[in-house]
Amino acid sequence: MARYISMRLIQLVVIIFLISVLAFLLVHLLPGDPTIAILGPNDTPSARAELLRQLGLNRALPLQYWTWISHVIRGNLGSSFLTKQPVTNAIAVAFPIDLELIVVSQLMAFVIAIPLALIASRRPNRLFDRLATTSTFGMLSLPTFVIAVLLVLVFAVKIHAFPATGFTRISQGFGSNLRSVLLPSIALAVGSVAVYYRLLRADLISTLQEDFVTMARAKGLSTPYILLRHALRPSSFSLLAGAGISIGSLFTGAFVVEVLFQLPGIGYQLVTAINSRDYLMVQGMALVAAIAYVIINFIIDFLLTVLDPRVRHA
Amino acid sequence: MESSVHHEPEYAAHDANTRSTMACAANGTHGEDRGGYETTASRQSDGRLSLLVGVAGYSEAGGELSDTGRRYDRRTFLARGAGSAAALAVAGVGGPTMLSASTQPGIGIGGPRRGGTINVGMNSEIDGFLPSASHFDNTGITYASTVFDSLTVRAANGEARPYLAQSVTSNPDYTTWTITLRPNVTFHDSSPLTADVVVANFQAIRSSALTGQAVKPISGVKAVGDLQVVFTCNEPLVAFPQYLATQLGYVVALSQLESSNSTHPIGTGPFRYVSWVPNDHFTVEANPNYWRRGVPYLDGITFRPIIDDDSRQSSLLAGTIDLMVSHDPNAIATLRRNSSFQLVDDLNQSTGQPDMDFICLNVTAPPLNDLTVRQALAHATNAKEIVKLFGAGVTPVTSSLYPPGSPYRPAHNGYPTYDLAKAKRLVAQAAPRHGGAIKLTLGDIPDPRQLEIIQALQSMWMQAGFHVSLTDVQQVTYIDNLVTGNFQAYADEQFSAADPDLNYVWLSETTASGPIALNFARNKDPKLEAALQHGRTHADPAVRAEAYQTVDKLLAKDLPYLWLSRAPWSMSASNKVQNFAGPTLPSGGRAEGFRAGTFTTSQIWLKG
Repeated sequence: MARYISMRLIQLVVIIFLISVLAFLLVHLLPGDPTIAILGPNDTPSARAELLRQLGLNRALPLQYWTWISHVIRGNLGSSFLTKQPVTNAIAVAFPIDLELIVVSQLMAFVIAIPLALIASRRPNRLFDRLATTSTFGMLSLPTFVIAVLLVLVFAVKIHAFPATGFTRISQGFGSNLRSVLLPSIALAVGSVAVYYRLLRADLISTLQEDFVTMARAKGLSTPYILLRHALRPSSFSLLAGAGISIGSLFTGAFVVEVLFQLPGIGYQLVTAINSRDYLMVQGMALVAAIAYVIINFIIDFLLTVLDPRVRHA
Repeated sequence: MESSVHHEPEYAAHDANTRSTMACAANGTHGEDRGGYETTASRQSDGRLSLLVGVAGYSEAGGELSDTGRRYDRRTFLARGAGSAAALAVAGVGGPTMLSASTQPGIGIGGPRRGGTINVGMNSEIDGFLPSASHFDNTGITYASTVFDSLTVRAANGEARPYLAQSVTSNPDYTTWTITLRPNVTFHDSSPLTADVVVANFQAIRSSALTGQAVKPISGVKAVGDLQVVFTCNEPLVAFPQYLATQLGYVVALSQLESSNSTHPIGTGPFRYVSWVPNDHFTVEANPNYWRRGVPYLDGITFRPIIDDDSRQSSLLAGTIDLMVSHDPNAIATLRRNSSFQLVDDLNQSTGQPDMDFICLNVTAPPLNDLTVRQALAHATNAKEIVKLFGAGVTPVTSSLYPPGSPYRPAHNGYPTYDLAKAKRLVAQAAPRHGGAIKLTLGDIPDPRQLEIIQALQSMWMQAGFHVSLTDVQQVTYIDNLVTGNFQAYADEQFSAADPDLNYVWLSETTASGPIALNFARNKDPKLEAALQHGRTHADPAVRAEAYQTVDKLLAKDLPYLWLSRAPWSMSASNKVQNFAGPTLPSGGRAEGFRAGTFTTSQIWLKG
């Protein structure tokens, strides 16, 4: 187990290094000129050259990378070209928003999807299963922005139960904080419910046909007990793997929801920075999002090894 | 209703015909706020107490700018009653159309009430608070006027009036301008406003790559004493006071200027900085030491950049925000019908120039360097149809740089009308010169509504025989391409200005060449330049009107721009928010309430 984890950690470091190189190179591939964004249309060739010198963008790429990564290792991601705000400050604003959105939305998704799948898998292709499968199929078909707009229209504009936009920090009150993330979390959870339900249902149906389940039934164990104690664990590998990909991608994939609810999360800040050629902000946000993604998947891999010893011996 | 003691100066009448003066003569005054307009009582030389009611009848004749506030003695004022006084106060040309203080949205009803906070939804985010380094769009100007003050502000009729300045005076030929500052004004860090601070601010503006070009005509600046600054210009600059009401005229504290800190504004404004988290919020609190006594009325404001138009509107409808700015004509169409909200738009504004939607043609890029091709495009463009499809029933079509009612709009400017048959003939005539087929690319930023508009234009132009491809580019690349001339035709929006001279840099042939050109269309026309110079250097309104009418006619002839429509702006607020479009001048009289998405916050209050 220790050897497996050590190997995975080494892989993690290599992946993060490659991500840092890609994040660094990515911004050089973007079209447009950052000096335009900074100086505006009134710049001059000399002002532009001076700015490139000040920013170090006139030096060789490896030198630029070394300067950047040595600062990053010391926790200095630089400052936004445009707002002069330290990138770490922007991340400190964005990261808790995404973290809370992900935690709340994924909790909602698991709380709904797992019981649904357990009930549906008991009697496949019966009324409940068909209803649940059709409903989740509908959920998958609905784009997130449509769900978000509907939620705002009903719960914010008509009922006035939730704010339409904005994020209230937990330090400003837990109730207000929860109200501010509930609608966007529901918008994000809908798609996840559908995916998780379908993954778990399929695996559960397969597991319930295994010999050890037949044995448990023969021993007279109740169906709920069999489902929870014997079938759920071996059926959750696909669910976990899917959750890893889904949760990791939400760090940047929640962009649409973040725009509609005006939540300055990582996705929102990243796209804003890309549009304005805010190089250091793009690098910092992309780096954080990618590292969060690989760490989450590392944790998921670790959980899989705990749940299924075959994985670590593979 | 609230009365408060004012020690505000009033504008003095002015001197010789050869001088342009906006002077404030300090005298012990007593003012009273009445439902969103401001009256100022003053002790006259004979000891009678009189009221200067807030109509800044701003006249200009024979090279003299004057401010002639109407006077009423107390008895007359009281006899006429607050209603008539209010009507007088709101009279004036342009700005959001104001019928009376009691019926006009955005103008306060009842007396001002102190206290409370509001949330305001803005349509964009800024990149900082340093006038010499930050890009001030409508959000930037609104934020700036919240924490800073400008040397002049605009009256409701669009003319510039002293603000942080007590007077702005020119020499006879408008080449030297002298600004006298208000005494006893302090910044939020308690440092005093002095002539040296203004000089330092101007030097920062002049040395900045961002703002330097705009002040090119100004060759020198020096402090004369503690409160006087003299600006020297290379050429007569009649519109100088108007420049001081823009980004160039905001004064920041030396401590902010010297540290080049663009994230923490320190000004003299009605509100003080509390926090700014880019893309999230900008929060301010009332400045208790504001030099305009009695304001601001609110305790604080939180601005929130909500970029998506629909989300901003939903936020207002849901009560998440109390006030919003919008550039979406659909917001006007929707909120006009909703009695729970107040709506102010600039569709009837006739002072200066509004923002215009148009197609910018690069007249140096083939095939658009051929006037016949541009004429064919103009005849093939059915602006009425575009507006019908995308204007939400509120956006007016335009065929001129200037709005109806503007003195600069000629009766007929000769702009080509929609005529598909004529467009086809012109295409057939020009095509042999361009290899048999006229190909061009029309571009825009990737905004869904904008992309629909250029698709409609593509269809119209193809009907006339053009081969049109479309491209969408990110905002930064778009600006990059505009200034470097790396485009053929771009959908654009521009030209909001209180004075036509403020658009000089965008239209002049002096900025039409080189690797970076602010005249994006790169149109060079000596006659146009002469007309622009004529308008810039003459104060006589008739001469200026003639000059800018000539500009409009020449633009219609040269066709660097294909006019589509006015680009309307609106402000909407819940009914509890009062007086968001009804600010007054320090001397009384209505200040400009709303222009191109900008507004002032100091005199907003909440209904009890």
